[in-house]
Amino acid sequence: MTALLEVEDLRVAYGKIEAVKGISFSVEAGQVVTLIGTNGAGKTTTLRTLSGLLKPIGGRVTFDGKVLSRIPPHKIVSLGLAHSPEGRHIFPRLTIEQNLLLGAFLRRDSAGITRDVERAYELFPILGERRKQAAGTLSGGEQQMLAMGRALMSQPKLLMLDEPSMGLSPIMMQKIMSTIVELRSQGTTILLVEQNAQAALSLADHAHVMEIGTIKLSGTGQDLLHDEGVRKTYLGED
Amino acid sequence: MHTLPQQLANGLFLGSMYGLIAIGYTMVYGIVQLINFAHGEIFMTGAFGALTVWNCLPDGMNIWAALPLMLIGGAIVSVLIAVGAERFAYRPLRGAPRLAPLITAIGLSLALQQAIFVWYPGADNAKDFPQLGTHPYHLGSIAIQRNDIFLVAAAVVCMVGLAAFVRTSRTGRAMQATAQDPDTAQLMGIDTNRIIVIAFAIGGLFAAVAGVAFGLKYGQITYNMGFQAGLKAFTAAVLGGIGNIYGAMLGGLVLGIAEACATAYIANIPGMHQLGGQGWANVWAFVLLIVVLLVRPQGLLGERVADRA
Amino acid sequence: MTDIPLTEPLQPTPLGTTHPDAARSDSFVTLPPGVARIATLVGVAGTIVSTFMSWTYTSAFPGDLTVNGYPGGLQVLTLIGAILTGLVALGAFGVKGLTWLVPNRSPNAVLLLAAGTFATTWYAVIAIAQELGGLANLNPGGFVAAVASLVLLVGTLGLPIDRQPLDPSGAEYYELGRLSENGPARGTYRWLRQARLNHGELPVPDPARAPAWVQYLTIVVVAAAGVKVLTYGLATGYTELFIGYLILVVFTLWAFIAAGLTRQFSKITADHRPFAALMGVVAAVAYPFVQNNEHWANLGVNILIFGTVALGLNIVVGLTGLLDLGYVAFLGVGAYAAALVSGSQYSIWSGVEFPFWAAALTGMAASLVFGVLIGAPTLRLRGDYLAIVTLGFGEIFRIAVNNLDGVSGPKVTNGPNGISQIPDLSVFGYNLGDPHQFGSITLGRFANYYLLMLVITVIVVLVFTRASDSRIGRSWIAIREDETAATAMGINGFRVKLIAFALGASLAGLAGTVSAHVTYSVVPNPYQFSGAAPPNSAFLLAAVVLGGMGTVSGPVLGAALLYIVPEKLGFLQRYELFAFGVTLILIMRFRPEGIIPNRRRKLEFHQDEALLPAQQALGDGTAALGKAGA
Ligand SMILES: Nc1ncnc2c1ncn2[C@@H]1O[C@H](COP(=O)(O)OP(=O)(O)O)[C@@H](O)[C@H]1O
Ligand SMILES: [Mg+2]
Repeated sequence: MTALLEVEDLRVAYGKIEAVKGISFSVEAGQVVTLIGTNGAGKTTTLRTLSGLLKPIGGRVTFDGKVLSRIPPHKIVSLGLAHSPEGRHIFPRLTIEQNLLLGAFLRRDSAGITRDVERAYELFPILGERRKQAAGTLSGGEQQMLAMGRALMSQPKLLMLDEPSMGLSPIMMQKIMSTIVELRSQGTTILLVEQNAQAALSLADHAHVMEIGTIKLSGTGQDLLHDEGVRKTYLGED
Repeated sequence: MHTLPQQLANGLFLGSMYGLIAIGYTMVYGIVQLINFAHGEIFMTGAFGALTVWNCLPDGMNIWAALPLMLIGGAIVSVLIAVGAERFAYRPLRGAPRLAPLITAIGLSLALQQAIFVWYPGADNAKDFPQLGTHPYHLGSIAIQRNDIFLVAAAVVCMVGLAAFVRTSRTGRAMQATAQDPDTAQLMGIDTNRIIVIAFAIGGLFAAVAGVAFGLKYGQITYNMGFQAGLKAFTAAVLGGIGNIYGAMLGGLVLGIAEACATAYIANIPGMHQLGGQGWANVWAFVLLIVVLLVRPQGLLGERVADRA
Repeated sequence: MTDIPLTEPLQPTPLGTTHPDAARSDSFVTLPPGVARIATLVGVAGTIVSTFMSWTYTSAFPGDLTVNGYPGGLQVLTLIGAILTGLVALGAFGVKGLTWLVPNRSPNAVLLLAAGTFATTWYAVIAIAQELGGLANLNPGGFVAAVASLVLLVGTLGLPIDRQPLDPSGAEYYELGRLSENGPARGTYRWLRQARLNHGELPVPDPARAPAWVQYLTIVVVAAAGVKVLTYGLATGYTELFIGYLILVVFTLWAFIAAGLTRQFSKITADHRPFAALMGVVAAVAYPFVQNNEHWANLGVNILIFGTVALGLNIVVGLTGLLDLGYVAFLGVGAYAAALVSGSQYSIWSGVEFPFWAAALTGMAASLVFGVLIGAPTLRLRGDYLAIVTLGFGEIFRIAVNNLDGVSGPKVTNGPNGISQIPDLSVFGYNLGDPHQFGSITLGRFANYYLLMLVITVIVVLVFTRASDSRIGRSWIAIREDETAATAMGINGFRVKLIAFALGASLAGLAGTVSAHVTYSVVPNPYQFSGAAPPNSAFLLAAVVLGGMGTVSGPVLGAALLYIVPEKLGFLQRYELFAFGVTLILIMRFRPEGIIPNRRRKLEFHQDEALLPAQQALGDGTAALGKAGA
C-alpha cells in the first residue's frame, strides 16, 4: 500500500535563498506524523508548499495518488488536504459560524455541513456558545480551536496543523493537545508541526526533526522522545 | 430654487453617482489593495458603450425602451475592459513593488482615454447623449429631473443588490474572506483569482450604470470625463472608508451634499463671497478630503488598520 | 581565425554577479556554427557594398539615394550599422585587437546590432517603395541592401545566444512545468524564454586595471561621441532619417549593454566620478555652441527645466517610493510666485521686482510651503492616499489659478490669461534677453537661459547626489524598501518622508522660477495631470519611470526623450498620448527598472559579490581600452 502523502526530495526557495533543501517523508493514512525543529527550520515553508501556496523548485509531492506540484491551492483543498496555518489566520470580521462555513466552502451537501458545524461545536463547546460573535473577538486559544474546527469542516483526508500551541497558556495547550489525541482516536490523519516537541513526540506515530531546511533525524515518536540529542536540543535537558 | 431641501436633493443625486463609481475603487482596493486609477476611464467607456448602442438603434426609438439595451451595452464594454485590465495589466504585477501597478494604472488610464479620443468617431468633441425629457417633477418645493430619478433608482437597486450578494451568496462570502486574508481564503478552497475578477467585473458594471446616468444627467459625454469623476469617486471611497462598500455609498452621498451646499452657501460666509460657485466646488471637495484624512484617516466607516506604506 | 570557441563557458575575471545557471543556449535558427559566422560576415560585407550603390531612380525620396559610389541619407545609417556589426562580430569571434568591443564575449551584441542594421535598412527600403508607390522604384542597390541585411540577420540568428537564467524563486520553474504539459504552448514558451537575452549580467573584465589615462580618455571620447550623436539626431532634416536614426541608436545602445560595454563604462565613471561629471558638464556647455540655433537652444532649456523637475520628483518617487501625481503643480507654484515678483505689469504687485536670487528663493519657499501643507496631513497615512491627494492638489492648483481672476474668485493670477510680459532676467548685470558674443559665436536669448538653467541643473544634481548618499538618503531608500522594517530600525518615517516631499517640491519650485522667465508668461494650462506636451504630471512621472527610478541620468534622459521624440515625429501627435500610456504599461511589465537601472540596490544587497577584485590581468581589455582612446 502506498502512503497517503509522499514527499520526495522537496526543495523550496524564497528568491535565491533555499529554505527547504530536499526533504523526503511520508504520511500513512491513520497516522499522526510530526515535524519538529527550531524556528526557521523550514517547517512552515514545507506545509505551505504542500498546500500549494508556495511553488517548489524541485522534488515531487504525491497526495492520494496525485502529483500536487502543479495544482493551485484551491484545488488541492478539494483533494482532501486541509491546512490550519501558523498564526491561526481566522477571518476576524466574520462570525464564528461563518468561519466554519468557509471551511466547508467546497462542499455542497448542506445537511452534512450543518451536521459537521454541530460536531465542531461539540468538539469545542465554547465556539457553540459564541457562534454569532465576530471571530476577531475570541482569545488566542479559542481562535486556535476555531482554526482547527474550520480545517476539519472540509472533511479532509489529511489535516495539517502548523504550531497549534503557539502562544497559548499551558491550560489551553493541554486542551489543544487532547483534542488532537481525540481526533487521532477517531482515525483522522494528521501532519503536525510543533515547537513543543515533548507534546508532539508523545502523541506522534512518526516524527522528523528538521534543521535548516533538511531532515536531520527520523523515527517513531517514542524513539525520538528518548533520543539523547533530541532531548538535549529540543526538550531543553542537559 | 436654491432652498436648502433643493440643495440637499441635488447633492443626493450627485452623490449617488459618485457612490456608484466609488464602489469599483473600494471593492478592488478591499481585495487586492490596488488603486485602480483607470476606473474613471472604465466609467467613461461605459457611457460610450451605451451611446454606441443608442446610435445603432432605429431613429426615434423611445428612450425608456432603449435604456435597458444601452445599460447592457455599456455594461458589456466596461466589464470587459475592467476584467481585461485585471488579467493582462495588473495580474502579472502581483507581488511587484507597490509603485508598479499604480504606474500601470496611470498608463492604462491614459491609453483608454486616448483610444476613445483617437478612434471613437467624433469623440474629439463632446458627444450628445439622449435625454429623458426636460420637465421636472415637483415634490413640495423640490424640483426633480427625470434623469435624477433614474440615477437614484439605479443606485438603490445596485446597492441593495450588492449588499444582498455579498451578505448571502457563496461567492459573496468568498469575497469577504479573500478581502480579509487572501492566502487563508485559498486554503478554504476559494479560487481567489476568480474572486478578484468578479470584484473588477462588479466595479465595471456599476461604473457603466453611472456612465449612463452621467450622460442622461448632463446631456453630453467626453473622452476625458472619467478623470474628474474618478477623482471625486475615489475621494468618496476614501471618505467613506476604503474597502467598505457601504462606506463608498455613504462617502459619495456626503461628498455630493457637501459639494452642493458649498457651491450654494460658501459665498454667504463673510469674507468668502468670491469662493462660492461651481468653479470652486472641486476645491471644497478636496478640502473636505484633507480634513477627513486629518481627523479620521480610516474614513467614516473604515476600520482602523495599521498604517502601511 | 577563432581562438575562443563560442559554445564554451566564459572564464573572464568577474565584475559583478555571476549566474551559475546562466547558459548559452541554442540559437534561434539552427545553422552549422561555421555557416552562421560566414553568413554574418558575408551579410556585413554585402550590406556595406550596397550602401555605395544607388537604391532608387529618383531623388523624390529625401536624402538623395540615387548616387552610385557615395552613400547618402539613410544609406549612411545602414553603413554605420553594418560596420559596427562587422567589428563587433569579429570581436565576439575572438579576433585579436577587436575583442575589447565585446568584453563579455557574448554573441548577443552581434545579434542586436544585426537586428538594428536590418531594421534600419528594411525601414528605408520599405519607405522608398511605399512613398514612391511600388517596388519598381527600387534600384538593384536597394535589393542588394535588403537581401544582404537579411542574410546578416539570419546569420546572427544562427549564432548561439546567452539567455537570462530562470527566476530563482519557484514561479518560473512552475510556469515552465505547467506549459510543458500542453504541447503547442511549449514551443512558443521555449522561444520566448530564449528571446530573453542576457542584458549584460555576464561577467566582464574590470576596467580599473587599465592605465588611468586610458580611462580618462574613454570618458572624454564617450562624452564627445554623445554630443555628436545627439546633435546628429537633432539635425536630421526629415522624419524618415530620424526614424532610421532612432532605430539604429536604440539597437546600438542595447547591443553595448549586452556586450558589457556600458557596464565597464559605468564602472569607469563610478571610479572617476568628479572627472566624469565634469565631462558631462563640458559636453552640456558645448551644446549651444555646437548646435548654435535658437530653436534648439529653446528645446535645450525646456529639457533642462523638465529634467530638473523630474530629478526633484525622482527624490520623491525613485528614492523614497512615494507616488506624487500632482507634481507639476509645484513647478506651477514656483512659476507663479516668480511671475508675481517679476515686475510684470500684469502682476498684482506690478511694482515689485525681485532680483533673480530673491525670486528663486521666493519660488522655492512658496513650493516648499505647499509641499508641507500637502504632505503633513497625508504622509502619516498609507502611500496610496498620498497618490490621490497629490492628484487632487494638482487639479485644485490648476482650477484655483484659473479662478483667481477677480471675477470667479479673488484677483491674483488673471485666470486663464495668466501673467504675461514677464521681463527677462538679469544675472550679474547680464541681461539674459540680449544676445551675447563669444568670439565668433553669438549666443541668443534661449542659449543664455540654457546656460543659466544648466547651472541650476548642476546644483540640483549635486543636491540629489549629496542627499541620496547621505544618512537621509539611506533612510529614504530604507523607507522605500520596507517601511515597517525601517521604522523598527529607528527611522522616523514621517519626518524622513516629509523632508523628501518638501525637498522635491522646492526643487520643482526653483525650476519654475526660471521657466516663468523663459516663456515670458505663466498661464494655468500646462500645469495639468496629462496633456499632449510636457510638462505635465503624467509626463514627469514617465520621465522618471522611463529613465530609471532613483538614478541621476535616468530622469534627464527620459526628459530629453519626451521632448525630442514628439518634436521630431510630428505625425505622431494624435497618437502620442496613447502610445505613451501603452509604453508605461509595457515598461512596468517588462523592464520596471527603466532604461538606466539603479545599481545601488544591487550593491547594497550583494556588496560582497559585486566588487570582487580582479583576479587576472586584463589582457585584451587593456589593449582594447587603449584602442578606444587612440
Ligand atoms: N516570506 C519569506 N521570504 C523570505 N524568507 C522567508 C520567508 N518565510 C520564511 N523565510 C525563511 O525561510 C526559512 C524557513 O522559515 P519557516 O519555514 O517559516 O521556518 P519554521 O516554520 O520552521 O520556523 C527561514 O530562514 C525564514 O527566514
Ligand atoms: Mg513556522
